[in-house]
Amino acid sequence: MGAPPPPDRPRQSVKEAKMLPGRSKISVLVFLVPPLAVYAFAVLLPIVQSLFLSLFKWDGITDMKFVGLDNYVKMFTRDDVFWTSFGNAMGYLAICLVLQLGGALLVAGLLTTLRRGRELVKTLYLLPAVISTVAIAFLFQRIYSYEPTGLLNQVLEWVGLGSLAQPWLSNVDTVLAAVSVPEGWRFAGLYMLIVYAALLAVPKDLEEAATLDRANWWQIFWRIKFPYIRPVWITTTIMAATYALRGFDIPYLLTNGGPGQASELLTTYMYKTAFTHTDYGYASAISVFIVVECLVAVGLIYFLLRRKVD
Amino acid sequence: MKHHRLNVAAVAAAASLTLTLAACSASGASPDSSSSDDGTITPREISWLLSRPADGGVITAMEQIADEYAADHPGFSLNLITTPDRPSYIQKYETLAAAHQLPELFDTDATPFAKKLAGAGQMVDAEELLTDLGLYDDYLPAALNYQRFDDGSLYMIPFEFQLEFFWYNTALFEQAGIDVPATLDDFPAMCEALRAQGITPIALDGQDLWPLERYMAYYPFRMAGPEYVQALKKGEAKFSDPAGVAAVNWLYDLGQAGCFQPGFSSTGYADAQALFTTGQAAVYNIGTWELSNLATENLDEGVRDDVDYFTLPTIDGAVTADNEYVTPSGIGMAVNAETYDPLVKDFLAYALARYPEVYTESGALSPTTTASAAIPDNATPLYQRAVDQAGDVGDAIAMPWDTQLDPTSNTRLQQELTLLVQGDETPEGFIATMDAVIAENGPEAFAE
Repeated sequence: MGAPPPPDRPRQSVKEAKMLPGRSKISVLVFLVPPLAVYAFAVLLPIVQSLFLSLFKWDGITDMKFVGLDNYVKMFTRDDVFWTSFGNAMGYLAICLVLQLGGALLVAGLLTTLRRGRELVKTLYLLPAVISTVAIAFLFQRIYSYEPTGLLNQVLEWVGLGSLAQPWLSNVDTVLAAVSVPEGWRFAGLYMLIVYAALLAVPKDLEEAATLDRANWWQIFWRIKFPYIRPVWITTTIMAATYALRGFDIPYLLTNGGPGQASELLTTYMYKTAFTHTDYGYASAISVFIVVECLVAVGLIYFLLRRKVD
Repeated sequence: MKHHRLNVAAVAAAASLTLTLAACSASGASPDSSSSDDGTITPREISWLLSRPADGGVITAMEQIADEYAADHPGFSLNLITTPDRPSYIQKYETLAAAHQLPELFDTDATPFAKKLAGAGQMVDAEELLTDLGLYDDYLPAALNYQRFDDGSLYMIPFEFQLEFFWYNTALFEQAGIDVPATLDDFPAMCEALRAQGITPIALDGQDLWPLERYMAYYPFRMAGPEYVQALKKGEAKFSDPAGVAAVNWLYDLGQAGCFQPGFSSTGYADAQALFTTGQAAVYNIGTWELSNLATENLDEGVRDDVDYFTLPTIDGAVTADNEYVTPSGIGMAVNAETYDPLVKDFLAYALARYPEVYTESGALSPTTTASAAIPDNATPLYQRAVDQAGDVGDAIAMPWDTQLDPTSNTRLQQELTLLVQGDETPEGFIATMDAVIAENGPEAFAE
């Protein structure tokens, strides 16, 4: 590979440390401890509390009952809704990642070739990310509506595909995709901005040199541009994946997990378990699973994308 | 990079846990107990956490009564905190209950959760309270019975009395050449005849889930009486029993006959009602709380003269009478035992005695026998008929199942019902799933 190694964080921090030669370790600690304390209190403590609560059966009113690992045993062996939700969460993740990362890369790539109106296009794509979730949910409820006829079914009618018109949010085969698309669409613009900024930083001379060597656009992208944006790509992928794994609001507002459990995600299921079923212990067990799931996902992404560099 | 990875992961974890934390970190707080036995009334602000329409009859009446009371008791005020959307309300109230943060008054149905609250001594015995205030005998027995737990104890006070009807469009029935169904078994044929005319047979608000769950309650109520669901929820009866099988098959048949509009599961309350009031759907199952929209000039002129209603049809060999159906007295009001003091008692004494008169001025049915509904000036003849119907209601009540089952089984039932009616689940599969779910959750939830 002819590309120079991408800028690396560890190196940067070494450089930064050298920029502060007179600073003692204590002064560094003084600045680091408060945020760490806040972090421990606001992030680590709740995780530990959930871990603790997941070993109990508790409805909020009567006394907590220690049940050991029974909540986990129930989750893995006796609860089919949990597994359905897990499967749905994976489907939701896949659709969101394709739409967000694929869409982001595509639009960002096109943007770099655009000579005029870049700012306008950027703003337009970013717009959905700043609209309130509730508004988006209502918007899509209307778009998917069957009776009265919503936008999607109307458009199908117009282009002569009226036979495909259906109640998208009621059909168990389409509902998962239907609730995933708004989430994917919504944040594609945000990731596009990040990827676009990274693409802009790719030195033009490398690209020109490759063009002189008769590299085609795919080779330019894959061998020159992509290695350059890989660190940003890893971050973006991790962000998109963890957001999608925590996705809650749009499925909850659009279908509340229905029909049946066809669009139930782990998050909506955990919420119902805690606040509708008042089974706080079991809900904690599910949330512990979500934490582990997020950590595993981040590890996998990091491992897979990072390995290619080495 | 390593730091960054951890951060993102931790932020992800934190956000997914916030909800759970909110529930558990609030526990252990104790309310300011101001119970004094010397009987001194010290006016202050009291709050009522409720789930009723913001501009509805109950809130309007109670605001007026609170103002009257405050005129005599400077410093008093009633803070009404309403969350009309029922699922959101229940979440709010149950979370506050777990945190011992419920206000002086709060709404609840006679659910298993409320039973636990009563058992934990957090609610004032309503039967004692009403007797003490000399109001107990004013109430319709049916209105009180709706609020009772299975053991007959009473912890909630009713503020409404409603009858649930099948509203139907006579013109559309005529067009399809059909009569009002005499039995529940006539429903599928009714739907097919209407479908053949391109009419949506029944408008259903599937998004809120409870309207479809009503249909689940009908067949067993006729076939086995109100006791069936009481046994079912504890795991003592099963869906595989005759009443359960008949109900499941009936609902499956309704779905197969195309009774409900396509995509009903994502149709909301207002959209479902609009299907009926615009003459697109022939039947609509809703209670008398909608009288002002269905039996007054508020109703669209195009259908105003065609709207009529029938009550829950019977079946062959029914064990409940024709005049026994879903007659709820609405969500009840409970009195928080931990904040109950002379002021709360004195206010309730004034408010509950005054309430029927003020409330019925809005044209609503009173849960007491002491006042009758004032028919609004713009009412259609149907209004008076519906009000009179309230005088002829039998003793047994078809209880809505969402107030009966434990919450986990209830959620699952609502989900599976949609699938059953959509044809995505077979009656056999439905019965097997639901019996397993209730066996897992029911007996434990109702263990004494």
